[in-house]
Amino acid sequence: MTAVIEVEELTKSYGSHRGIIEVDLAVQQGEVFGFLGPNGAGKTTTIRLLLDLIRPTSGHARVFGIESSADPVAIHRRIGYIPGEFTLYDRLTGGQTLEYFANLRGGVDRAYQASLIERFELDPTRRFREYSKGNKQKVGVIIALQHRPELLILDEPTSGLDPLVQQTFFATLHETTTDGATVFLSSHILSEVEKSAGRVAIIREGRIVQLDTVEGLRDLAHHQVELRFAGPVPTADFEHLPGVSDVAAEDHVLRLRVAGPITPVVQAAAKYELLDFVSREPSLEETFLAQYGKEAVEVKP
Amino acid sequence: MTASAGTPSRLAAAPFPPIPLRRRLYGFGSIYGKTIRDSRLAFIIAAGMLGGLALALSAAIGTVFPSPASRLAVDSLIGGMPASMVNLFGNATLMGPKLATLGGYLTWKYGALFALGTGLWSILALSGTLAGEAARGSLDFVAAAPFGKRRIALEKLAAHLTMLGLALAFAAVMLVISSNAFGDPTLGDPIPPVSAIGFVLWIGFIALFFGGLAFALAPVLGRGGSAGVAAIAMVLLWVVSGLDVGGPLVAVSPFHWTADNIPLVGIYDWAGLALVGVLAVVLLALGVELFTRRDLGITAGLSLPTTPGVVLGVRGPVSRAFGEEQPRALAWGIGLFIFGVVLASIVKPMADQIAASSDLLKTFRSVFPTFDLANASGFLQLYLALFYIAAGFAATTFVAKWASDETAGRLEMVLTTPLARARWVLAGGIGAVLAIVVMTVLFAAGIGVGAAAGGISAGDAMIGSAALGLYALAVVGVGVAIGGLWRTSLAAEIAALVVVVTYLIDLLAPPLKLPDWLHQLALTAHLGQPMIGQWDVAGIVACLVIGIGGIALGAWGVMRRDIAR
Repeated sequence: MTAVIEVEELTKSYGSHRGIIEVDLAVQQGEVFGFLGPNGAGKTTTIRLLLDLIRPTSGHARVFGIESSADPVAIHRRIGYIPGEFTLYDRLTGGQTLEYFANLRGGVDRAYQASLIERFELDPTRRFREYSKGNKQKVGVIIALQHRPELLILDEPTSGLDPLVQQTFFATLHETTTDGATVFLSSHILSEVEKSAGRVAIIREGRIVQLDTVEGLRDLAHHQVELRFAGPVPTADFEHLPGVSDVAAEDHVLRLRVAGPITPVVQAAAKYELLDFVSREPSLEETFLAQYGKEAVEVKP
Repeated sequence: MTASAGTPSRLAAAPFPPIPLRRRLYGFGSIYGKTIRDSRLAFIIAAGMLGGLALALSAAIGTVFPSPASRLAVDSLIGGMPASMVNLFGNATLMGPKLATLGGYLTWKYGALFALGTGLWSILALSGTLAGEAARGSLDFVAAAPFGKRRIALEKLAAHLTMLGLALAFAAVMLVISSNAFGDPTLGDPIPPVSAIGFVLWIGFIALFFGGLAFALAPVLGRGGSAGVAAIAMVLLWVVSGLDVGGPLVAVSPFHWTADNIPLVGIYDWAGLALVGVLAVVLLALGVELFTRRDLGITAGLSLPTTPGVVLGVRGPVSRAFGEEQPRALAWGIGLFIFGVVLASIVKPMADQIAASSDLLKTFRSVFPTFDLANASGFLQLYLALFYIAAGFAATTFVAKWASDETAGRLEMVLTTPLARARWVLAGGIGAVLAIVVMTVLFAAGIGVGAAAGGISAGDAMIGSAALGLYALAVVGVGVAIGGLWRTSLAAEIAALVVVVTYLIDLLAPPLKLPDWLHQLALTAHLGQPMIGQWDVAGIVACLVIGIGGIALGAWGVMRRDIAR
C-alpha cells in the first residue's frame, strides 16, 4: 500500500502557544482515516500544515510523496478540502460559486457536478449569503467533491447538515472511496468516524495519543461486565483478578470493569452457578471519553 | 431534597460577585461598556481628527494671515467666488467683516467639514451598532440575555453619545487653546469657551440628526441601506442649503436651520440649533422604538439593481478579484464623476473673474503661489489636491476588499485549489488596478462633461485625471505589500494611515513652513500640476514603482508566512 499522507515529527508552535507537537502518522491510499480530538487539540492545525496554509516549526508533512511546503499547488491539484469554518462570496449564487471553484481547477465534469447538486438538494440560484448554515455547508461539500479528488481532507464536514443530508454525505463518501479515493476525516463526532473510518488517530493537547484501527481502540477500553448468579455473590473471587476493578455486588448481581483479556473472569465465574453473563463492548465514544475523561492518558513530555 | 420544575435551583450557590463599575463603564461588564470599548479606535480617530484639525487650522490660518492687511485677502477671496458659491461652506454674508477673524475663516472654510466628518462617524456608528451586529448574528446572543431590546438599544446609543460628547469636548478645548496660542488678539482671533462650546454643539447636533436618521432607518433598511440614505441626505441637504437653491429640500435642511448660528464669531441662533437637537432626539427615539418593536435582523432592504452575472467574474482569479471590486469602483467612480462635472462646469467664471482683476490675481498668487488661478485648469489643479485624498481612500477600500479573502475566511478554500499564493496576490492586485482604472476613467469623463458644459478646454485636465489613478495605484501597492508581508487585517488600515499622513503633510507643510524634506515625503507633492499638463516624471515613476513593486512584494511575502484563519 502507498502512503498518501506521511507526517513525521511534525511540530507547529504559535509563538508561546502550543499548536501540535511531534505528530507522526501515515494514511494509506484508499483508506478512510479518522482524526479525533476535542476542540483545540490540534486537528485543524495538522490539516492546515498538510495543505501548506501554515508552515511547520519542525518536522515533515508529505502528501502524495510531496513535501507540503515544497510544491503545494501540485498537492492541491489532487485534493478536495472542506475547512472547519468557512465563508464564501456573499454576492455570488451557489451555482456561480461552484462554477468559480470548478474554473480554478480548470473545469470539472458538469454532469457529476449537477448530480451532486441534485443529490444534496442544493438550490444553486440563491446567493450564498441567503443560504442557511446547512446549505452553505452543502456548497462547501460540493466544492470539495465536484472534481473527483484523489484525497479528501475534511474538517468537521457534517457541521450544520441535517441527519438526512449527513446520510447522503456518507453514502457519497463511501462511493468515492470505492472508486479509490482516500479520506482524511477530522471530527469530534465519534459516531460518524466510527461508522466510516478504518483507522483512527486521537490527538490530545497537540500530541497523538492513540493510533489504531477502530476495533483496536475499542479493545483498549474497559469492558463493562455484569454477572447474575443463582446464589450469593462470590465477590472476593473476582476482586483480585488481573485487570478487574470497580467490583460491586447487589443482590445476586455482580458488576465489574475489566481491562484487557476477559478470560480470567470467565474462568472464575464458571466455578459457580451462573444465570447470566453480559459483557458490553465499548463504543469508540467510550474509548474516546476514557482517553479524555476519568482515565488520564499518559502524554509524553 | 426536591426541586420543582421551573424553580431555579439555588443549591449551595455562592452569590455571584458584583460586576465592578469600571467594567460596566468600559469593558465586558455591560452592553454600554463593551460598546464603549469597541468604539475606542473610532473615538481616537474622530477626536484626533477634530482636535488635530482645530489645532492645525488655527496654526495655519495664523501663519498665512498674520496681519490686518493679509486678512483683507480673505475678503478678496470671497469676492472672487460666484455669489451662489459664497455660502456653500459657511454663512460668509452674515459674518461680514468677522470673516477675517480666525474663527470666521475657520467656520467659513472648514466648519462644514467638521460637521460632515462627525456626521459621517455618527451615521456609520449608529447604522451599524445594532443592524451590523444583527447581520453578523451576534445580536441574537445579546438579545437572548435577560433584558429587553429597548435596553440594548439605549445602552448602545448611550455609548455613542458618550464617545461623541468626549470627542467634541476635546475639539472645543483644542479650539480655545489653539486660537489663543496662534491667533492675534488685536484681530479678534481668540475663541472664548462659550463660542467653542456653541460650535461643537452645532457639530454634535448636526451629526446626531443624520446619525439619528440612520439609526431610525437601520431596523427597516439594514446597515448599508440606512447608512447610504443618511449619508446621501446629509451631503444633499448641505449642498442645497449652501447653494441656496430654494425649494422644499432647503426648507428641511438642518444646515439651513442653523445657517445663522456662527458661534466662532459670536453670532448665535439657539432656536435653530435647538430645533436640530430636538429632531435628532426624535429620530433617535424612533430608532429605539423601531428596534424594540420589529423582528430582530429582519430588514426590508433596498431593491438596488443587481450586478449582471456576466460581470461578477467567475472565470478565474483576476476576473473574480475585479468582480469583487466592481461595486466599490463604480461607487467611487460615480461620486468622482459627479464632482468632476460640477467643478469643471463652474471653474471658468471664477478664473475669469480673477484674471480680469490684477489686484485679485496678486492676492490669490500670494495665497496660492503654486497655482495659476487665472486659468480654469489651474483652478481644477487646486481642487485636485482634495481629490487625492478621495482617490487614496478609494484605494484603501480596494485593498480592504482584496484582504477580505483572508480576513473573511474564504482564502483557505481558494488556496487549496491549484492556485498558488503569489498568483492570488497578483490577481488581487490586478483586480484593484482595474478598479482604479474604472474610477479614474469615470472621473476623467466627469471632468470632460463638466468642461464641455462650462465651455473650457478639457484635454489636459482629462489626461491629468490620471494622476489620481497613479496615486491610488501607489496606495494599493502599499496596502498589498503590508497584507502580503505581514497581515491582511492591517493592510487597509495602514494604507489609510499613509493617505491621511500624506494629505496632512501636503496640506500643512507649506503654510506652516515646515522643512522641505518633510513636504517631500508626500507623494502627491511630486506629481506636478497634471491638470494644466505639467507632469513630474519622478512622481509618475515613484507611483508606478511603489504600486507595482508593492504588489510584487506582497506576492513574495505571502509565500513566506502562514495564512490566517
